[in-house]
Order: sequence, then structure tokens, then C-alpha cells
Amino acid sequence: MRMLIVEDDQTLRETLAKKLKAEGFAVEEAADGREGKYYALEYPIDLAIIDLGLPEVSGIEIIREARAAGKTFPILILTARDRWQDKVDGLSAGADDYVVKPFHFEEINARLSALVRRTGGWASSVLSAGPVTLDMSRQELKVNDEGVELTSFEYKIIEYLMVRAGDVISKTELTERLYDQDFERDSNVIEVFIGRLRKKLDPDNSLKPIETLRGRGYRFALERNQAA
Amino acid sequence: MYSLNARLLISVSVLLLLFFGATIVVLDTAFRTAGEQAREDILDGHLMSLLAAAEVSDDGVLTLRRDLPEPRFSTLASGLYAAIRDDDNRVIYQSRSSLGMSIPEGTRGAPGREAFERLWLEDGTPLLSLTLAVQWEIAEGELRPFVFSVAENLDSFNAQIAGFRGQLFGWFAAVAAIMLVSISLLLRGLLRPLRQIETEIAEIEEGRRSSLSPELPNELAGVAGNLNLLIDSERARSERYRNTLGNLAHSLKTPLAAMRSLTNESGSQAETRLNEQIDRMDEIVRYQLRKPASSAAGNLLLAPVDLAAETGRLVDGLRKVYRDKAPGIEVSVDPGAAFRGDTGDFLEMAGNLLDNACKWCRGKVRLSVKPAGSGGMILSVADDGPGVLPEAREALLERGMRLDETTPGDGIGLAIVKDIAESYGGHLAIQESDLGGAQFTITVPPQRSKT
Repeated sequence: MRMLIVEDDQTLRETLAKKLKAEGFAVEEAADGREGKYYALEYPIDLAIIDLGLPEVSGIEIIREARAAGKTFPILILTARDRWQDKVDGLSAGADDYVVKPFHFEEINARLSALVRRTGGWASSVLSAGPVTLDMSRQELKVNDEGVELTSFEYKIIEYLMVRAGDVISKTELTERLYDQDFERDSNVIEVFIGRLRKKLDPDNSLKPIETLRGRGYRFALERNQAA
Repeated sequence: MYSLNARLLISVSVLLLLFFGATIVVLDTAFRTAGEQAREDILDGHLMSLLAAAEVSDDGVLTLRRDLPEPRFSTLASGLYAAIRDDDNRVIYQSRSSLGMSIPEGTRGAPGREAFERLWLEDGTPLLSLTLAVQWEIAEGELRPFVFSVAENLDSFNAQIAGFRGQLFGWFAAVAAIMLVSISLLLRGLLRPLRQIETEIAEIEEGRRSSLSPELPNELAGVAGNLNLLIDSERARSERYRNTLGNLAHSLKTPLAAMRSLTNESGSQAETRLNEQIDRMDEIVRYQLRKPASSAAGNLLLAPVDLAAETGRLVDGLRKVYRDKAPGIEVSVDPGAAFRGDTGDFLEMAGNLLDNACKWCRGKVRLSVKPAGSGGMILSVADDGPGVLPEAREALLERGMRLDETTPGDGIGLAIVKDIAESYGGHLAIQESDLGGAQFTITVPPQRSKT
């Protein structure tokens, strides 16, 4: 998932970015409001963390403009002014949740994964479709209650597909969302990983959890077990 | 309390009374004096005709040669009387008009000197009497004294004076009434700008207007201008105060967040200790910099908060935040409720309480805003969570007041809510809710200007 962090404090931004990358996010960093607005409007962003007290363009304004431009990605606001007025302003402008500074990284992470699964319409952090269960908080995948060992990149792909179970996701989108900006895009890495995932999830080829739609992309095909 | 209008009308009435009173006295005196003078002149004429008609024989017997020319002397009880007395006060002659009456004897002055005076008949009728003592020369060197007197009934004269007075009072009363009415109309017109300012200030207090209108007379434009300046500067001041606190909080908390991000939660003992210190500093910053934005006195210049709209925004926001838990939040805002103050202060109180309720509830939260008396606000937030034990309630409200005794993350929100409520003259109470959990109630009394 491609994540945007807009935060003017360098130390905070960089350590946050580092930790989020370790969690498997592709991260774009913006140090001020103008840059943040540019990323929010022009880049394929899945998730944004926006500080409200920014130089140049305020966080609220970025959120408002992104929403006005039809961007629906979830937004988590960071605020040091923990007045309810600021929180309410941010939430009414279109943010989805808030975290007050100083925060524990675990808190941010928990909020983010909640926001991610909400985009796919999941109400719980355990996504379950047919015999496949993905626990986002533990980053565990089970098929028929048996754990499946995944590399972090494999996990990222299956998470992305499962969160948006039922949607067709193009190869370009997967590449864009899962790699950092400077990654070489033309490789066949995605095909390779999808192939490996199929083997791990469905060794006897009976489930067919990941469908390939020629020329369009991939789709997690199993029926969701819980209501959205 | 007094009004300029009443003051001016009272002063004008007193002045009118003094002025008209003096005028009435002067006019009355002048009229009476002139009237009396005229009467005396007429009486003098009658006395002369009496003298002219009198004839004294050589042996000293006085007779009237002819009837007096004035017919009223011959008509009984006509009101005009004449009498002549001799030296021994015996009546030698009395006019036919005074038959059967006893005309009182006037003071006898030096011979040749006329004496006017007021006398009364036996039945009390007032008379103006003129008495003249005369030394009549009968023969060479032989003089005989006589006293001539004429008198006129003053009843008609007095009636005339009374009539005049009646008219005088009537006219002056009418003039005074007209003057008072026109002055009060004039005052109403002149004081209209003042009343306009009063209305506009009331509107500012009720939040229907942001400053005084500039269409005022020159004399008041300065006052209105200064009032506007005062209102603006008070608003700017409280805005600046909030911004300063906000910026300070921001500039302190961002480094704290950076420090926190550099430590690992499950790190060494030193890192854990460092995190504790960060938490403490955070609590201190949060509590100290979340002081109420404005004092109760300044609130009169603030517009009332749109309770329905702000509550709606808050509830929408919290529904987003608690989307997974999805508590049923029941909201009712009575349109009679009013909170005149800072919107941020309202959101801070309602936000903290509602957030707590959403956090602790099992599935139901109820927020209601009702008026406290006429105006004012009773904000209560109830949930179906575990509730607060009665013995713990006091302690919960006290917590956060002394930071060094506080466990991080506990009760700071409530302490802030309590502080804000108290700065508006209100209070925070914890009760049991009929939903099963706790119910927090903030009561803020109506705020009025002292007019």
C-alpha cells in the first residue's frame, strides 16, 4: 500500500517513514503542506497520515482539497493541538481518524490497519473468505486453520488483494502500490509472487483463490464470510 | 438605575413649575393692583360728586343740594354706598342704597387726606372704602368738620380676580402640558440613537450582530467606534490567546512525538523510563495548555454556539472514529438551550465526555442538551458501560488536578472538562445513567449582561 506522510518535523517524519516501511508500506514523505497537497492530489495514494499544523498549506486544507478532488483514501490526522475543535474540524473536513501527539507507534499502526480494511469494507481486522483467514493485526494467514508461512512481500500482495476482495486490481496498480517509487517497474516480479502465493495457499489447486483476468489484472475470488 | 429620559423630564417639569409659578404670581399681582387702582379712581370720583352735592348752611347744617348723579346710590343694596358723618360720628347723611345698613366707619385721617381701606359689612361682605375728613368753612374763620365716605362692594371685583386667576392657571397649565409633551417627543427622537446602541449591544450579546452600526450621530460615533474597537480587540485577544497556546502545544508536542518515535516500546529499561518521562511531559502540556479559552466576563462578547450544528459535527466525527465499534449514539438538542462562549470550549467538554462514553459503552450512548432555566445549558452524556462507583466519583473529578499524582492518560480529559465548565460558572457531576453506565452532566447557567 502506498502511504503518504505529511509532517514538517524531520525526525518524526523520517522515523515514522522508516517504521512504516518496515511494516510493508510504500511511503511518500512530504515536509510541508504544499508538497503534501501535490502528493495527495497527483499520486496514487492508498492511505495518508497528515499533520494538522503544517507550514504553507494547513493539513485541513489538504484534506478538504483531496476530498473535493474525489480522493477517497483513508486519512489519519496527527495533531499536537489536541483541542476537540481541531479534531472535529479535521474529521468534518474528511479525515477518518486522529492520533494525538506524542503517540506510540503501535497506536498509529493499529489505526492504519483498521483504516486499510475499512477501505475494503471489512469491519474486523480478521479478514475471512472461504477457508482463508488473514489476521491483519498479527499478519498471519491461515487456510483451513493451518498457518501459512509468507515472506513480507507475499504478505503485502495477499493483504492488498484480500482487503479489496472481489475487486479487479491491475498489475500496474499492484506494482505502484507495493513498491517504492524508484523500484524498477517492468520486471515480472508480480507474476512470480502471485504464482508462489497460489502454490502456498492452494497446493492442490482446488480453491483457486486468486483469479487472473487477462489484460486486466488479478482478483481475490473467494466469497467473503462476513458482512461488510 | 435611572434613565436620561426620566431625568430630563423631571428637571424640565420642575423648571416649568418654578418659571410658570413666578409668572403667575407677577401677573396676578399686576392685574390685582391695576384693578384696585381703577376701583379707587372710580370711588374717588364718587366722593368728589358727593362733595359737590353737599351744601352747608350758615348755621352749620349739612344738606345735599341735589341727588347724587350715580343712580346706584339711589338703588337699595346696589353695592355702592355713601355716608357723611359729623364730628361726633353721627351719621348726617346716608345714601338710599345703604338704607337699613350700617356702613362701617373708616379711619379718619388728617383733614384733606383720602384714606382707602378694606372694611366689612356686618354680614361679612367686603368693601373698599374711601374716607375723607373735611373742615368746612361756614363763616369767616369758622370751620366745621365733616367726614365723607363712600364704599363699594368688592364682591364683583373679587369675582373678576378669581375669573382672571382661573383663566391664568388654565392657560398656563395647557401651555405647560403642551411643552412637556413636545419635550418628551423631542427627547424620544434625540435619544433614539442611544436606544439603537442599546439594542445593538443586546444583539451583539445574542450573537445576531458582530459590531455596532456606523450610522450614528457625530456625538455618539466616537463612543460606538471605541466600543467596536474594544469588542474586536477582545475577540482578537482571546483568538490570539488560543492560537498562542495552540502553537506552544504544537511546538512542545512535536518534539515529544519525535522523541517517542526514536524509542522502542519494548526496548531497554532506559527507554521505558524515557517513555514514562515523555508521557508525563505530555500530560503536563495537555493539561496546562488546555486552560479555558476565555473568562466568563469575556463571553458576553462571544456569540452563542450553534449547539445543534456543533453537536452534529462532533457526533459525525466520533461515528467515523468508532466505526468498528459502531455505538448507537442518540442525540437530542433542545433549541431552548444556549451556550454563549467559545465554540472550542463547548467542543472540548462535549468531545471529551462523548469520547469517554464511546470508549466505555457496550453499545449505547445518549447525548442530550437541554436548557438550564431560561437559556443556559445542561449537557449530559450517558452510556451503558461499566459506570463509575459512587465512592470513586469524587476522586475521578479531582484527578488530574495534581499532576504529579496522576497516572498518565487518566482523568486529564475530565479535569479539563471540569475546569472549562467552572470557568463558565457551571459544574460537572457524575451520576448513574438509566442506560446502566455512567452519566456525566455539565450544567452551565444562563449568562446575562447586567443591564
